[in-house]
Amino acid sequence: MRKLITLALKEVRLTFRDVGALVTMLVTPLGLTLAMAAAFGMGGSNTFADVPVLLLNQDEGKFSNFLSAVFESAEVSALLAVETVSDEAAARARVDAAEVAALVIVPSDFSQRTLPFLAATESELGLDLTTLSQTEVEALPPETTQRLAQLYQQSLASERDPVSIEIYGSPEWPISTTVLKGIVAQAVERLNITIQSTTQLLSRLFIQGGGESQSLAAAAGGGLTTNVGTTELPVRLNIISPSGRPFNWLDYISASMAVFFLMFTVTSGGRTLLAERVAGTLPRLLISPTPALTILWGKMAGTALTGMLQMCLLWGATTLIGAYWGTPSGVLVAIMMLVLSATGVGALISAWAKTSGQAGALGTAVTLTAAALSGSFFPRVGMPAWLRSVSLILPNAWGIEIFSALQSGQGLVDILPLLGGVLLLTLVYYAAALPGFRRQFEG
Amino acid sequence: MALVAVNHLTKKYKSSDRKAVDDVSFEIHSGEIFSLLGPNGAGKTTTISMLSTLLRPTAGTANVNGYNVQREPMGVRRSIGVVPQELALYAELSAEENLRFWGEMQGLGGAALQTEIAEKLELMDLTARARDRVKTFSGGMKRRLNLAVGLLGNPPLVILDEPTVAIDPQSRRYILDYIKELHAQGVSVLYTTHYMEEAQELSDRIGIIDQGKLIALGSWEELAQLVGQDETLHLKLHQVDGGQRLAEALSTLKSIHQSSAHDGEVVLNVKAAEVALPFVLAKASELGLSIHTVEIREPNLETVFLHLTGRALRD
Repeated sequence: MRKLITLALKEVRLTFRDVGALVTMLVTPLGLTLAMAAAFGMGGSNTFADVPVLLLNQDEGKFSNFLSAVFESAEVSALLAVETVSDEAAARARVDAAEVAALVIVPSDFSQRTLPFLAATESELGLDLTTLSQTEVEALPPETTQRLAQLYQQSLASERDPVSIEIYGSPEWPISTTVLKGIVAQAVERLNITIQSTTQLLSRLFIQGGGESQSLAAAAGGGLTTNVGTTELPVRLNIISPSGRPFNWLDYISASMAVFFLMFTVTSGGRTLLAERVAGTLPRLLISPTPALTILWGKMAGTALTGMLQMCLLWGATTLIGAYWGTPSGVLVAIMMLVLSATGVGALISAWAKTSGQAGALGTAVTLTAAALSGSFFPRVGMPAWLRSVSLILPNAWGIEIFSALQSGQGLVDILPLLGGVLLLTLVYYAAALPGFRRQFEG
Repeated sequence: MALVAVNHLTKKYKSSDRKAVDDVSFEIHSGEIFSLLGPNGAGKTTTISMLSTLLRPTAGTANVNGYNVQREPMGVRRSIGVVPQELALYAELSAEENLRFWGEMQGLGGAALQTEIAEKLELMDLTARARDRVKTFSGGMKRRLNLAVGLLGNPPLVILDEPTVAIDPQSRRYILDYIKELHAQGVSVLYTTHYMEEAQELSDRIGIIDQGKLIALGSWEELAQLVGQDETLHLKLHQVDGGQRLAEALSTLKSIHQSSAHDGEVVLNVKAAEVALPFVLAKASELGLSIHTVEIREPNLETVFLHLTGRALRD
């Protein structure tokens, strides 16, 4: 055991005396964290606030009001500062100049093409079904109801192209434009659902008839323009944690960058076994009265200890600049488990690589791929479900899941299932590495 | 009982058709300096790798201090100190840290280790640089530290694998003198080298190894008898590419027992240099070659090697 500790401490000492290693382990992740947090927002406030957006509503009808209602809702108004404009050319020029993030253009025939039946009733019969109450609809004379049914059937028979809302975004506001696109897309999706349900109700009214259906039509028609805008959006844009702490980039990127660069450290740590063979220090170790397994575990322990120190230093440093990783007990256990798992990846690579160069190339490839697949640079919540599942073969993904849970206010007990997953993964890594090491030491 | 007993030791690598070590047998007695002399690639390092338990023999047996290298590797490892050919040190650690680390790997610790570290630093004239990182050392200083590490724990057998390769004359002298001192203290030494003058100066007995086989074994006096009173003629030619032609032409002369050529230098084993020299000069002239220098040497290990293999030691 004493020899194992001596070996581990030697590894740590060698790594922390290597300026290049320190730059990779500590300076680079801190720099990237700061840069990305500065780009996407720091501190405890919402990342996006008062993003300047122009709205050019040319619609001659009323259905586009849903968009105004969305923009005015409490949830979205905190994010977007929407200015209504009427001059399209001037508005586009302001976007081109990056004065505002984007311009939203609603075409003049938006209402006409969205539900032509309602537009026709207004123009032919002078009836605005969207404003009539249930009682008023029920009181309509039979000939009017009959004509309404005819107009409705005509509207079904007519072909119409989908109507578009244009978002003219500034390339200099890419994230803000993406956010705006998401908001509008959700609102449009909601509108489409409402139109479909309204169409079904109108169909029952005018094709099947019946007094009860009339009230449904009124309910559907009357609520159309307001329901979409005021109903809470099905997917919330801002991720609010149960702890009451809103999602912010600094928290997310601090942990994800630390995990990303932990992988660099452990893969290069594993590579030192091959480097020591070339340098002659491994053969010298092997002819000392020290069992080969002690040497192997000592080196692994050294790599793990280095990783632990790296993670703890990054945790401390990012906490000083305002990042929150979670409850200390949870973070400590998570770091320990993740470091063991990541060291397993390093062990797996160095066990099967033939040369130090090969191990280095493999380590870099695995680290970068793992970072891209696991959400090191963007929130995992935005990834497709299948990719989120696939990425769980890598410690990065588990690390980000665990730290996201801790950052959202969950404690050590809550993350135990995730830690169990990491443990299982770690055992698989070491089991796969063992035959490779046996081959190396016996060769 | 011999401290080291090697019997029919053989090693064949999977990657090679020929045997790196082929049926080698010898013994090393307590307090003896035993040298394995041979050119690069002769099998010296492979032999000591098997003796130090780093490589498993393909055939044969070897015992060190009574321990079998295959069955009792830990006993063997506790009995030996190895100074490898490469500088097996951590450049980012200081001399003292290196000694402490390797001492702990040998199972040493506490005050005993601290005392030994101070002793070794003093012996190797490195006390003043004890806390400097090894990467700042000269080649000679690194070699001395490499040697000091191999001596930690005062093992009964010290194995030195070409410890004087690529170092300055001063450090080389330092190391050779220290080995003599070890000998005086009764430590056994297994020394490998391709410098015949080192083997000749240090060794009680010498094993000459070539192409994996031990081709001669004995004290310097015993080996010298193999070549009788032969002298060696070293000729340096102006024409670098003419050496081989001259060596071949001279090999037919009766007064020349052996001849070899390397980089414009021709080495000849002759019974009497003053008799052979006129014939040699005439043959060179006949071939249109001009001789730059002629050197006559007394019988030495190079003569023995040439006699046994037909090649110069550095070929």
